Amino acid sequence: MITFDNAGKRFGNLDAVKDFSITIKDGEILGLLGPNGAGKTTLMLMMGTVYRPTSGTISVNGYDVVKQPNEVRKLIGIAFQDPRVDGILSASDVLNWHLKMTTLFDKVERRRRVEDVLKSLDLWEARKKRTWLMSGGMKKKVEDAKILVQRPSIAVFDEPTAFLDVPSRLLVWKMIRQLRDEGSTVIVATNMMDEAERLSERVAIVNKGRLVASETPEQLKGTVKGGEVLELTLNDGSEFKADLLREFPEVHDVKQQDNKIMVFLNSGTLLLPKIVDTLSTRGFKIESVRLKEVSLEDVFLTYTGQRLE
Amino acid sequence: MALRDVSVLFRTPWIIITRGLAFVIQLFVFAYLISGLILVPGLNFFQYYAVGSVVATIASISFVIGYDIFEEAEEGVLDYLLTLPISRRQFIIGRALGGALRAIIYIIPMFLVVAFIEGFAQPLSILSALLSLFLLAFGVTGMSITVAVSVKSANRFDVVLALLELAVSRGSTALYPIAFMPLYVSVFAPFSPVSFAADSARASLVGFSLDLPAIAGLVAFVVVFLGLGAAFYFRRLEGGIYS
Ligand SMILES: Nc1ncnc2c1ncn2[C@@H]1O[C@H](COP(=O)(O)OP(=O)(O)O)[C@@H](O)[C@H]1O
Ligand SMILES: [Mg+2]
Repeated sequence: MITFDNAGKRFGNLDAVKDFSITIKDGEILGLLGPNGAGKTTLMLMMGTVYRPTSGTISVNGYDVVKQPNEVRKLIGIAFQDPRVDGILSASDVLNWHLKMTTLFDKVERRRRVEDVLKSLDLWEARKKRTWLMSGGMKKKVEDAKILVQRPSIAVFDEPTAFLDVPSRLLVWKMIRQLRDEGSTVIVATNMMDEAERLSERVAIVNKGRLVASETPEQLKGTVKGGEVLELTLNDGSEFKADLLREFPEVHDVKQQDNKIMVFLNSGTLLLPKIVDTLSTRGFKIESVRLKEVSLEDVFLTYTGQRLE
Repeated sequence: MALRDVSVLFRTPWIIITRGLAFVIQLFVFAYLISGLILVPGLNFFQYYAVGSVVATIASISFVIGYDIFEEAEEGVLDYLLTLPISRRQFIIGRALGGALRAIIYIIPMFLVVAFIEGFAQPLSILSALLSLFLLAFGVTGMSITVAVSVKSANRFDVVLALLELAVSRGSTALYPIAFMPLYVSVFAPFSPVSFAADSARASLVGFSLDLPAIAGLVAFVVVFLGLGAAFYFRRLEGGIYS
């Protein structure tokens, strides 16, 4: 179990993380979802004893990250956002060295595990290639592989599928899930909705260093009133006023970004003609209309007032 | 951790070879010329200079670990190393030890050549001379790490290290006896760790004897800079080294 208790980290006069409290249960996959600069990496590095929190406390299985860092380090493995691999080494050397430092496996066992993981990640052909000659995506897979081969009881992945092609992403997700199935607690930082939604059992939305919400993806969607979203694109949204649509009782919220209007509502199919009518009579030209179920993206928008992509 | 630093050396064997060659050429040409010029009764300057060159070389090489660590911090590899299950104390000692071992391995061929030139008294004198060299390398490594983590910009870091290297190796009795130094250097030279190492290595090789005060000085040097290195290292890192 990992507990953040009002944890904070200040760099100079910038609060990278502030008053952050959350409890991460054993064996769950927690997604930390937030835009770039939200503080995800800082959170993970504090948990991994690289940075010292400047306020509050963080404990990992009861060990305080500041007072008992050595105990914490034995439990955690972090796959970094930017691959931290020694360029002069090959993929198999990187993994072997990592295992040597983090586990007690003998040489034979290490070789077997490294081979397994390289094969499952489709890196076996390139195992001898020096990592600085690898593409960004391949290097990233080697970084993820460090933790997948180590199988620590707490596995942390910082944007594990950034720069990966689609087949590789699916592969990495599958392997992260397997890791959890074998008992590891997994924490995944991401700024990608689909990753958070498909991988995590619980999503913690982080924005500007603070925890904004943390629930299962389903519960999060439930917090958006209405359960449906109507997306309208106008040819000119500059004259649009949200109040125009708020007078319908089925409409719970209206958000606007330039020409794009998001209407959170229920009974959308019945309401749609009325909304189109209202807008047309006011002289707005509607370019496109889309009615859909609430997605995590909408949740993110309602909590932070911004879109991710 | 120490092994990691040592293995870095073997990845670039040509450095050892070219540096070794350069050393031999410098030693023979330069020392021979100078030893003809400097005539001190009772002192064979060639012998003096030969040991001193080895000591000065090991001092400069030991500074290299600082560059490694600085680079690691910039590239973020340090963050990774710090998440590994190693205590901070083990970590810093491992790094310094690795740097020192690396320097010793690097210097051994030159050292043996010199030991033969000196006509060393007995195998033990080789060992005790190596011990002095090792202590020096260990301490300089600690010093280099201290600088690497207490200086922020890469440019300033290069300058500070270069100056330190100059001060430590030139301001010492490694290459010239005190009598030949300008006054302002001769005041500091006796207290330079490089002098300690040079004097005790000479004492061991040329007629076997132990220069105990010099060795004590070396040990103090090691302790101070390892301590400082460690303290600065972790304070900086845990606060976030790059901004
Ligand atoms: N070592 C550091 N020194 C100074 N500022 C930092 C450092 N690391 C991160 N920051 C700042 O802290 C904020 C959060 O960064 P980060 O944790 O990397 O966010 P994320 O991983 O969510 O993109 C950013 O504004 C970033 O510029
Ligand atoms: Mg990040």
